[in-house]
Amino acid sequence: MSDRPCLGGIAYAFADEARSVAELGAAGLLTSDPAVLEGFGFGHAHVAVAESPYQLAVAAAGRLLEERRIAPESVDLLLYGGTPGPLAQQPADVPWNGGLLQTTARFKYPAARLQYELGLERATVLGLDQLACVTLFGAVRVARALCLTEGLQRVLCVASEFFPAAAGREAIFNCTSDAAVALLVERSGPRNRIAGAAQVTKGYYWDCDALRDEIVASYFPTAVHVVERALAVAGWLPDEVDWVIPHNVSRTSWEILMGLLGLPRARLWAGNIARRGHALAGDNFINLRDALQGGDVRPGEKLLLFAYGYGAHWTALAVEA
Amino acid sequence: MLFLTGATGLLGGAVLSRMLRADRALRVAVLVRDPARWRGIERVSPVAGDLCAPGLGLAAEVRAALARDVDLVLHAAADVVFSRPLDIARATNVEGTRRVLELAHAWPRVERVLYVSTAFVAGRRTGSIAEAEGNGVAGWVNAYEQSKWEAERLVRAATRPWVILRPSTVVCDDPAGGAVTQYNAVHHAVRLLHRGLVPMIPSAPDATVDLVPADYVAGAIAALAVHEGLAGRTFHLCAGAGALAVGDLLQSTWEVFARDAAWRRKALPRPVLADLATYALLERSIDATGDEPLQRALRGLSHFAPQLALPKRFETAGADALLGAPAPPVSAYWSRVVEHLVAVRWGMAA
Repeated sequence: MSDRPCLGGIAYAFADEARSVAELGAAGLLTSDPAVLEGFGFGHAHVAVAESPYQLAVAAAGRLLEERRIAPESVDLLLYGGTPGPLAQQPADVPWNGGLLQTTARFKYPAARLQYELGLERATVLGLDQLACVTLFGAVRVARALCLTEGLQRVLCVASEFFPAAAGREAIFNCTSDAAVALLVERSGPRNRIAGAAQVTKGYYWDCDALRDEIVASYFPTAVHVVERALAVAGWLPDEVDWVIPHNVSRTSWEILMGLLGLPRARLWAGNIARRGHALAGDNFINLRDALQGGDVRPGEKLLLFAYGYGAHWTALAVEA
Repeated sequence: MLFLTGATGLLGGAVLSRMLRADRALRVAVLVRDPARWRGIERVSPVAGDLCAPGLGLAAEVRAALARDVDLVLHAAADVVFSRPLDIARATNVEGTRRVLELAHAWPRVERVLYVSTAFVAGRRTGSIAEAEGNGVAGWVNAYEQSKWEAERLVRAATRPWVILRPSTVVCDDPAGGAVTQYNAVHHAVRLLHRGLVPMIPSAPDATVDLVPADYVAGAIAALAVHEGLAGRTFHLCAGAGALAVGDLLQSTWEVFARDAAWRRKALPRPVLADLATYALLERSIDATGDEPLQRALRGLSHFAPQLALPKRFETAGADALLGAPAPPVSAYWSRVVEHLVAVRWGMAA
């Protein structure tokens, strides 16, 4: 069997506590009127209180290994991203302490700990950072490339992203959720072949607070561009896409993007936007798991995953289910 | 004597200069709000008045003198701001035209009334647009278009012989230099593009942008104003077949912008072309966020950009035949216009 890098499994773990958009607004955790966010399709978000990002990462990765019956020692590489270093290991309700980054405590990395605690004895570890909501897309690209070039058989990609409990829950009109996502990239497999990937980074937008309006304006044209590139790599025409598996940003923004791509809205798998909110850790993959498990996506269907990492990163994946 | 409205505007002023040069015996009365501010031009008499005032606000003795002398009326004044509410646009463009026509009717020597309209009275119609009356059924993109169409109806019903001249959007002074004296919505849109604040443009795949230089339009009006035998005819003063495809216009614009290394390094994306429904969804979405800079940017586009999603081609055969040549193709000078705008920073350069 020739190499067909694929997504060999997905699992996720949300923070336990779910709050409605109205509750978040009443608690002063939103910058916009809750009605605006509800108008954009948001209903609930998961808010970590006692959990730490690391705990959710362990939960997601452990669940994946267990469900897929993966022997931990069979994992060649662990790619970890998300809430940085030691901050990942403290509960969300403990105020973030910048001092942690100024001492040797900064080297208490969650990735190494995860390798140890999950028993990934053979796995080497790489960390991914600074990609915001597209960490897992970056991980998939790296994992796929290493499968093809170094012959790795199995790469475990994990991302866990939190906002501190005291922080707001809104990021540019999106209601955010605390969660961890684990996915397995395998060198070959019968399902969920990675048919194409593309990423565009526009470093000009690094100062995302100062350039917010420019970023909003550039979002759609760059999204269309990166999607077209990913589909071109896959050899697909836009109209051949059976399902668009979104990141859970404003539903309206997705309707606009579907219009620009010339795709009917019915092909957008959007139910989780209201239920889950926007999990920075990688809600495209949460949605993909739910869509697969719910039977909405059938084997062989062509899937498009697009996400934007706030600031400078637009990414897309073409996956053949 | 020629009675001219709009002489203080870019087009009206250029028409005046040309007509004075062409006819050394011509005398002109120009309607201005403040004669004291009128630059002195030989054979031109400023008369105080206002399109929005009854009888154009002309003093009785001035009105009597004009009644004795005027044999040609050229009505070029208009409120050309696309974003005006309809009642405001009508006050100047419709009621002002009504008052001009009433005077033309009352002045016994008037042989002809020329009305400077706009090609965009075609509004939301698509396809080939003939140099003739439109029925207005399709509606309009903005109040300016509607008010000019309503004014045309008054002109067509006038008692004096009339000629209607319909320029498209004037985008520069002359094609050779690309300089811009009078800024309008198109220049504002190019500025928004330069700043990276335009996510999408409502446009059909086959849409074109019809633009004309002021010197072409002024020359055409001056020539047709004195041409005999045109009563009851309408002429498009447009690029017509020389209009530029929206995609080509964006490409050309980006090429000029990208000559600046600092701008190029930003890698600003070119706007995508969207259908009207998708563009409207974006507008509603931005409105819901209350994001003022983007709201301002979109509002600046929304009063005219939807025309790009209503592809049309203005027929120009009648005007071309009389003038001997079509308007210069937009592709021949658009880059120079953008170069000029960038160089003078949209009028902000010292």
